[in-house]
Amino acid sequence: MSAAVVDFAPLHFEDCSARPRCGCKGPGAETWLRSRGYRIPAAPNSALLDGDGVLVARLATSEFLIEAVAAAGGAARVRSSRLQLNERAQPRDVYAVARQDTVMTLSGTGLNALLRQICSVDFAPLLESADDDGGTGNDEGPVLLTSMIGVGVLAWPRRLKSGSAVTVWCEPSYGNYFWNTLLEVGREAGGVSLGE
Amino acid sequence: MSRLPHVAGELIDRNRAVVFNFEGERCSGYEGDTISSALAASGVTVFGRSFKYHRPRGLLSVANHDVNALVQVRAAQRSMPNVRADVVPVQSGWDVRAVNTRGGLRSDRLAMLNHLTPFLPVGFYYKAFYSKRWFPRWERMFRTLSGLGSVDLAASRVITPKRYDFCDVLVIGAGPSGLAAALAAAARGAAVLLVDENQGLGGSGLYARGGETQGAERTAELIERVRAHARIRLLTGAYAAGYYTDHWVPLVTRECMVKVRARSVVIAQGAWEQPAVFRGNDLPGVMLASAAQRLLYRHAVVTSRRVAVLTANAEGYAAALDALRVGVEIAAVLDLRTSLTPRSRVAAEELARRGVTLQFGVEPIEASAQVGSQVGRFEYAYAAGADGRATGGARGRGQLMIDGLWMSVGFAPANALLHQARAQVAWADALGQFVPHELPCGLYACGKVNGVFGLSERIADGEDAGACAASELSQRDARSRAPAPLADECPTHAYPIFAHPKGKEFVDFDEDLQIRDIENACQEGFDSSELLKRFSTIGMGPSQGKHSHMNALRILARVRGEPIEYLGTTTARPMFYPVPLSHLAGRGFTPERRTPLDAEHAARGAVWMPAGNWRRPEYYAVAGRSREQAIAEEVAAVRTRVGLIDVGTLGKVEVHGPDAAEFLDRVYAGRFSNLKIGMTRYALMLDEAGVIIDDGVVGRLGLESFYFTTTTGNSATLFREFGRLATWWGLSVGLVNLTGHFGAFNLAGPAARVLLRQHTSLDLSDAAFPYLALREAEVAGAPCRITRVGFVGELGYEIHCEAGKVLDLWRALFGAGERYAIRPFGVEAQRMLRLEKGHLIVGQDTDGLTNALEIDAGWALKMDKPFFIGQRSLRILERQPRRQRLIGFALRPDAPRRPRECHLVLDDTDLAGRVTSVGFSPTLSRCIGLALVTPKIAAAKRLRIRGDGGEVIEAEIARPPFYDAAGERQRGVDPA
Repeated sequence: MSAAVVDFAPLHFEDCSARPRCGCKGPGAETWLRSRGYRIPAAPNSALLDGDGVLVARLATSEFLIEAVAAAGGAARVRSSRLQLNERAQPRDVYAVARQDTVMTLSGTGLNALLRQICSVDFAPLLESADDDGGTGNDEGPVLLTSMIGVGVLAWPRRLKSGSAVTVWCEPSYGNYFWNTLLEVGREAGGVSLGE
Repeated sequence: MSRLPHVAGELIDRNRAVVFNFEGERCSGYEGDTISSALAASGVTVFGRSFKYHRPRGLLSVANHDVNALVQVRAAQRSMPNVRADVVPVQSGWDVRAVNTRGGLRSDRLAMLNHLTPFLPVGFYYKAFYSKRWFPRWERMFRTLSGLGSVDLAASRVITPKRYDFCDVLVIGAGPSGLAAALAAAARGAAVLLVDENQGLGGSGLYARGGETQGAERTAELIERVRAHARIRLLTGAYAAGYYTDHWVPLVTRECMVKVRARSVVIAQGAWEQPAVFRGNDLPGVMLASAAQRLLYRHAVVTSRRVAVLTANAEGYAAALDALRVGVEIAAVLDLRTSLTPRSRVAAEELARRGVTLQFGVEPIEASAQVGSQVGRFEYAYAAGADGRATGGARGRGQLMIDGLWMSVGFAPANALLHQARAQVAWADALGQFVPHELPCGLYACGKVNGVFGLSERIADGEDAGACAASELSQRDARSRAPAPLADECPTHAYPIFAHPKGKEFVDFDEDLQIRDIENACQEGFDSSELLKRFSTIGMGPSQGKHSHMNALRILARVRGEPIEYLGTTTARPMFYPVPLSHLAGRGFTPERRTPLDAEHAARGAVWMPAGNWRRPEYYAVAGRSREQAIAEEVAAVRTRVGLIDVGTLGKVEVHGPDAAEFLDRVYAGRFSNLKIGMTRYALMLDEAGVIIDDGVVGRLGLESFYFTTTTGNSATLFREFGRLATWWGLSVGLVNLTGHFGAFNLAGPAARVLLRQHTSLDLSDAAFPYLALREAEVAGAPCRITRVGFVGELGYEIHCEAGKVLDLWRALFGAGERYAIRPFGVEAQRMLRLEKGHLIVGQDTDGLTNALEIDAGWALKMDKPFFIGQRSLRILERQPRRQRLIGFALRPDAPRRPRECHLVLDDTDLAGRVTSVGFSPTLSRCIGLALVTPKIAAAKRLRIRGDGGEVIEAEIARPPFYDAAGERQRGVDPA
């Protein structure tokens, strides 16, 4: 996954695959997560960001993705939960879901134009209505299970102080294709800068 | 010159000249000109040659639908075929040529085909192709002669991006009704996207003026308001090429395709003016009146000095007034109708006052050329005088010397998208056209396509449609539309078709079809609109029947003696307008999956093959070895030492919950509720008909937890199906798809245990870890699931772990395995290894009809279970004779020829089956295989297989496995 960095590019891609994350599902998942101090989004297909930078995404009635998206203290909490799941220390009605996803955060002034090439969902109103507090508040926002460039993904649109961003999770087996194809499209759209 | 002084509303910039070549001659125009308008302004009259007879052709519609105006454009080292000259803006430096000529437009050698008309009857292709003897000759000739533009095979690939767009209300067509609809919708808060195929807005509101300015001014005011409105986005030079469910509309722009999702759609695409059908109606200079008006008001071009207007509606009179206004002489206005109607009367009186001859009850006889190919003379019969007064039934005969003939005899609604959206239409006699009768939710029509022709009426109709489209979004004040008011006079002649004994009255300009072609097709029995189209090819050219469909229906109705509405309508498939293939191909999004070991395989020389949407190593190339040798060495490594194969592409699923065992018992044909924790079992999945659809291995992790695999190609489909079944059955289970999140490989061979033992503290002895057992343990520091399986017929361990850890694990085992001369092996070696064991591959050794009884898989079926998918069918099939059986076969070691997969098995001369797997076993030094054959052949001792060249290859039927029949090697004996 290498690419030339373009200064002042309209798009910015960040590989977030290495972030600590875990997943769980099952009838007891919500209760178990609450017992571990996580705040839970009220509705499926929504997510909230805790003060310590932990994202809790509710993917279905009883399926959750937990990820430390900011370098705050949340990473340790997520690692601990993951360890517990790996060791099957959770209740019987909570099932661990392996999350080895390829994760990318897409941002920049060309974001909406890029999204309109790769996905049939209209992100513009979602980005307008999404959390505008720099990721430190508690507002729930949407997460979408959709398809981008032919790959099933989970997408989390956000509006930050620095601009709009969409974080995308996909199965790692698609990672190479997904990353390279987005780079190709992004370069044609005016250029991509990578990393932080 | 044909260029007029400044015309109000013209689209050209006279300060910016454009110079280009047409057929090698220098032409000029202005920015804002299309290719057609610049050529017309340069005095060009012949634009192309017709498809079949190579007759010279000029402009017809100037509306994007002329086959006559398709040109080849060479620009910047790129040659573009079939460029639509009517709508594409011309650019300096372009080299433009007519398509489909031999020797150029002027001296097209194929023009001699025009004299062979009697030998080219309708359905000629079908009649010619019928003869086997002559088919190859005809084929060669047609392939040489036919076609339009030339594809530049040397052109580099253009990756055309596609784009999605979204809006509340999509308005298609920016004529007066479309403009009004957009404004009305936007006024109610809707985000509107207004799209038009032309570069400019306004449609006929700007060019069909009738010598007046009020209509154009009113349209211009609408345009100004639209441009200023913050909630209206404009997309010009783009056409809506189709309509798909849920208001998906592909918009074709010059650059790319834009897929628009709208919440509601307003169709305001207007109507296509239709030609009259008479002898010589295709001569250059004979054009639709709207085409002349488009040239006049958009580009300030007139193509004729003296014209006759052939009309049957008020629009023809308006066109005549437009011509007078710019100094074109009107030789006569020839009305097909016998008398004036109220809408035409005012204009007719004005024309008469200005000295224009009006004649009624006109029947065209013939248009002919005088100099070159341009129309020069028009002969006709007529019935009444200038005031519409009858002349006692006597018919006069007229002849006019002209250089232009404008036709305005009727319209056909541009309702293709309405049809695609499943709108119901009904024939309106008062209009002579089909009008929308019942529209799907969220779809609206307005303007001419809705049967509304007057300018004020169109604007009102558009406002109503736009308001309804916007109201529907909120649902609060949604309302249904009242039927549109019908026009106060019929704008379309009932039968503007006039046969001539010598023919050449063209119904379809694309395919050179004449009246008698349609009549003859009907008489030959192709007398429904669908059959007629396919036999005669009418409507199958580039314009897709926009100018020919209605006239062909009229002829068909007359031949059948039925009203036109009895014939029904047809729905043209998308794309209804020509779309560049580069737009459709676009950027290919073909997802390819890779395992976590992909880079490792590449470093070891993997030669790739597709497996489902994954890429897998077929084998590993070795310097100095052929493909076959490399595969044979991989097989030998597994049989004699140890090998590693990446099986991470297998579907990998967990099922948890109190009903997990019940779920698996229902999904698979075997029994899993009695599977012991820590053991695995082969699983066969059937469909409701008992047909084999998948197989895998199920392992039990705990009382309520199982881990199982599916085949590579079916993993995604089956996981969705598992979810559906669990919900449908109401079982308390949780399914987890680990396919991409887990990696897996198979360590196989006599040295597998010794090698694995170096990296794990797990007791690998047969007693502690027997064949088919499942264990969870750390291997090289990574938490793994290990199963003892025997697909390749040797002692083997299938090791699964998280994707992020699998590469280190593979490398650790590989490093330690070097002392055992470990080899990675690919899919081809695995296929041979399993073939030696007689293990089948679902989808290769079975097909879409192979049931579980035909492969002797009774051991994997637990028919005494209360239920599993396919059980009921198998019970029925058990009582019936088998249709086929899977058998093994082997060739003599010295057999000179080898069969290949899919070669046919013979029963005397009858077909009795096919080879499903075959290959040369390096272990056995002979060719072995599997075949699906009839029970009769299965019971025989020998097999006869038909080879590639028709030769018969004999083989012995042999019961698999071919290798280690007792299974001792895969069960393994611990040497320790």
